[in-house]
Amino acid sequence: MKTRRLTPYLFLLPALAVYGIFVLFPIVDSFRMSLYRWESPFLPPTFCGLAHFRNLLHDSVFWHAAWHNILLVAGSLCIQLPLAFLLALLVNPPTWGKTLFRTAFFAPMIMPTAAIAILWQYVYEPGNGLLTRLIQLAWPNFSYAWLADPACAMLWIFVTICWQYTGFHMVLYMAGLSTIPNELYEAARMDGASEWQICRHVILPAMKPAIAVSATLSIIGSLKYFDLIYLMAGGLPEVSREVMATYIYRLAFEENQGRYGYGSAAAVVLFLLALAIIVALRGRTRRDA
Amino acid sequence: MTRNRLSTLLRHLVLLLFMALSAMPLLWMFLMAFRTEGDAQRAPLGLPSPWTWQNMRTVLTSGSFGHAYGNSLLLCIVSVTVTLLIAAPAAFALARLKFKGSHILFLLFLLGMMIPVHVTMIPLNRLMGSGGLGLKGSLWALAGPYIGFALPITILILRNAFAAVPQDLLDASQLDGCSTWAVFRHIALPLARPSLATVIIFNFLTMWNEFAFALTLLGPKHHTLPLALSQFKGEHDIMITQVSAALSLVIIPLLFIYVLAQKHIIKGLTAGAVKG
Repeated sequence: MKTRRLTPYLFLLPALAVYGIFVLFPIVDSFRMSLYRWESPFLPPTFCGLAHFRNLLHDSVFWHAAWHNILLVAGSLCIQLPLAFLLALLVNPPTWGKTLFRTAFFAPMIMPTAAIAILWQYVYEPGNGLLTRLIQLAWPNFSYAWLADPACAMLWIFVTICWQYTGFHMVLYMAGLSTIPNELYEAARMDGASEWQICRHVILPAMKPAIAVSATLSIIGSLKYFDLIYLMAGGLPEVSREVMATYIYRLAFEENQGRYGYGSAAAVVLFLLALAIIVALRGRTRRDA
Repeated sequence: MTRNRLSTLLRHLVLLLFMALSAMPLLWMFLMAFRTEGDAQRAPLGLPSPWTWQNMRTVLTSGSFGHAYGNSLLLCIVSVTVTLLIAAPAAFALARLKFKGSHILFLLFLLGMMIPVHVTMIPLNRLMGSGGLGLKGSLWALAGPYIGFALPITILILRNAFAAVPQDLLDASQLDGCSTWAVFRHIALPLARPSLATVIIFNFLTMWNEFAFALTLLGPKHHTLPLALSQFKGEHDIMITQVSAALSLVIIPLLFIYVLAQKHIIKGLTAGAVKG
């Protein structure tokens, strides 16, 4: 469309202003603050160069937090997505109940993650929780403090993550499956292909884009874990309870912390990591296309 | 034929089993909300005996909860509206107008969708603090970040919608003497109505459920719903029946709306994924 030269910028100005103030400026500001030692809002910050980043390298809590992010994304890719794929395959054939199942499995996606975290804290309650009581039906003496076990708590939280997001990925896969024309299945069956061969040679190739989308979302989303971990893992020792985002929060805002500069350095690392992943994934999808 | 029936039956059995498993925590919580505390300790798996409305009453009369509902509603309505008002013209410009830097600007907007919002928790706190905008502690400290981080996905979805408007239509209305703004406002915007619904639903749910910014930017007096929930849990931790009542009061209305508008909501929440 032809317009005057300035018009497009006027259309963009309000959005750009808000975006600049509340998204872009804070990102730049966190880079700047990561170079300062700034332990209290009442004292002036002092410049300390890259000292925070050097300290991060030796900060075992930070490395554990990053490791937990990696574990959670690996779990999503290896367990949650195949499960969602399986459910989509089961739901997809045109019989009754398709809408019912889709509605039911997707439902947790609309609930506040904070509410889900609180609900599951009670599910995992050692004395009276749903899971504990169910197991006690078989073993009356069973007792286990699920979320207080440093070795396994992240695993139990991962179960909650699956409960929340599997339906979402299932819906993505259902959308992918609906693009495969029925004639393709019929033709494959006419040629004598087994169900497994159909899955391997008809469905999987057609589902590549959907799988790429849901894997990308899982990977990018894994850096955004906060609510569940913060609320559910709070009772654990420091090295066992953090992911990167919760560690940033705790450094800056938890009592007796107030380490804004150091927290900003951790935030900068998180930002650069996210950026690297985005660039890598975009490069990949470009090559595939 | 019988083999087909059998496999369908088996399929549905597996699915029903999965559905029962995933519904169980919710059902357990709803029932818990109607138990007495003694019943919850004695027999938390059966039906409540006796049934009681006391927990619901306690939560509703505790004051902070109704207040938080109002806060969340007000904040979300304002933020969703402003987002739409400023994102729509921007998306139109990015989709249909030619100008220098349009591609860079678009990529810049996309960035906000990909990065974890938690990167900005500390600097936003500084920005909202007394040395900056002075909004920290009030409800409106959240509006800026909520709108800012809603812009990328909103612009992306609306840009695709505007890109699908036929070029002839825009050219014709321009020949008839419409200004660029009039073309946007009276031709393109009405045609994008389905996508407007999508972004309204998406943004509303995202803001309604947001927790991290609320945790860092709100003061003790003004809570949004997710924050009020976690606060309530902190104060009434051992009263599982009361916390369950609070959870139910948050989740049940959402489920109602969801069942009524599920088609739009599912489309809204997956639109970003499919079009991104």
